[in-house]
Amino acid sequence: MESFYTDLSEEINIKWSDFLFDINNSSVLFTHIYTKDFYQIFKSIVLSILNKKPIVLLDFDFTFSELENLIGDLSLLESTYVNDNSINIKSIDELLESINNVNENWSLTLFTSGTTGLPKKVTHSFETLSRHVKQSENHLNNVWGYAYNPTHIAGIQVFLQALLNKNTIVRLFGLSKESIENSIFDFEVTNLSATPTFYRMLIPTLKIFPNVKRVSFGGEKLNNTIKDTISNIFPNAKITNIYASTEFGTLFASNGETFVVKEALKKLVKVVDNELFVSSQLLATTINDIGEWYATGDLVEVISCNPLEIKFLSRKNEMINVGGYKVNPNEVETCIYLLEKVKYVKVYPKKNSVLGNIICCDVVTDEIISENEIREFLRDKLQNFKIPRKINFVENIEFTRSGKLKRI
Amino acid sequence: MNDKILEILNLILESKKLNPIVILDRELRLREDLGLDSFDLAELTVRIEDEFDKDIFENGLVLNIGQIIDILKKP
Repeated sequence: MESFYTDLSEEINIKWSDFLFDINNSSVLFTHIYTKDFYQIFKSIVLSILNKKPIVLLDFDFTFSELENLIGDLSLLESTYVNDNSINIKSIDELLESINNVNENWSLTLFTSGTTGLPKKVTHSFETLSRHVKQSENHLNNVWGYAYNPTHIAGIQVFLQALLNKNTIVRLFGLSKESIENSIFDFEVTNLSATPTFYRMLIPTLKIFPNVKRVSFGGEKLNNTIKDTISNIFPNAKITNIYASTEFGTLFASNGETFVVKEALKKLVKVVDNELFVSSQLLATTINDIGEWYATGDLVEVISCNPLEIKFLSRKNEMINVGGYKVNPNEVETCIYLLEKVKYVKVYPKKNSVLGNIICCDVVTDEIISENEIREFLRDKLQNFKIPRKINFVENIEFTRSGKLKRI
Repeated sequence: MNDKILEILNLILESKKLNPIVILDRELRLREDLGLDSFDLAELTVRIEDEFDKDIFENGLVLNIGQIIDILKKP
């Protein structure tokens, strides 16, 4: 745990002692963080907590015109607070104690990844961000593979989990497959949390990673096929599926596709017309004007009512209408991924005047496979109207800033 | 253009395990003679639009191959 943050691609290795030195010797802190330097982002979050000042995190790939829409005035990017020079942290334990006693006035603002429309501004308190952070002796020797964008909710939660347990953070987000594999091996990563898309990038790999003991999925629907493949790559890892969102942080965790709602949350969630609703009590501080229940936009299947057990199907606005039939693109993608030759797939609608929409898909593959071969493979797995009528073979598929499949 | 229409039609027929056609006969009816259903017609219109940038079903029903050729020939 000597190391606080390491990044193989940038050849950076910051020790905890260097981190404390930096904290004590920073003269100012920025109010708005707009940088691709992960270490600067982490340092800024800690400085803002110690100074009890609010902080706004901005994705480093926002354009200036996007930033203008989001924060109004670009001069805010230069705006700073003076670092309180009475802050003099002598040890890691002292740092963690100060963070755990953070003032109620501290807040962290970020923006949803904006898969549909403009990113939404969400402000969190320390309490909502750290609700699921586990601090104990057992977590002391963890090494975190950092596979999320640091300006997004999941990245902040992983950061706090690692920080509050004095763990080392190893950057994986945005690196090539080879660098990711090398980083997991070289730095003996023990814990990984990422989107299913991230894990899919590691497949096919001939390598196995025996040092990893915890693997978490989040941000996208998990299916058992990818879960089984991941179990083979990380043979010693306990696998956890997480349901979380920018608006309320982590809500459910399970070891498979379905989630059993805990007794404590039972009265705070409900399912209406297959859509999951969450009580506004669980939401981040800024979205208070939405009434008692917040519609998540996530469609679920209720497996059992008592205890409430649910399985995620898709985002509400992702369903594709083909001549009156509803098609869930996630279901079609899951089936296509059963073909080993397929590296990535994206299913989407294409408008036409006969049926409204037909199902099309883009496929990334390194091998030879025909359009008809894929359709034949799906013949006994999907109803006819769900089978893509046009399959394009492409070099790349676009992902969102959170590393999720970009739907629009 | 005719070769491309033939290719697209045969691609759809092949995926339905139906016999390909050799000549683009204007009189051949899409539903009755070729056995295409609405999903096939939707696929046909999307593939033709991708190729020729024209929605053949835009102004109503297209019943036979001759009508497809006529629509695509129009400036």
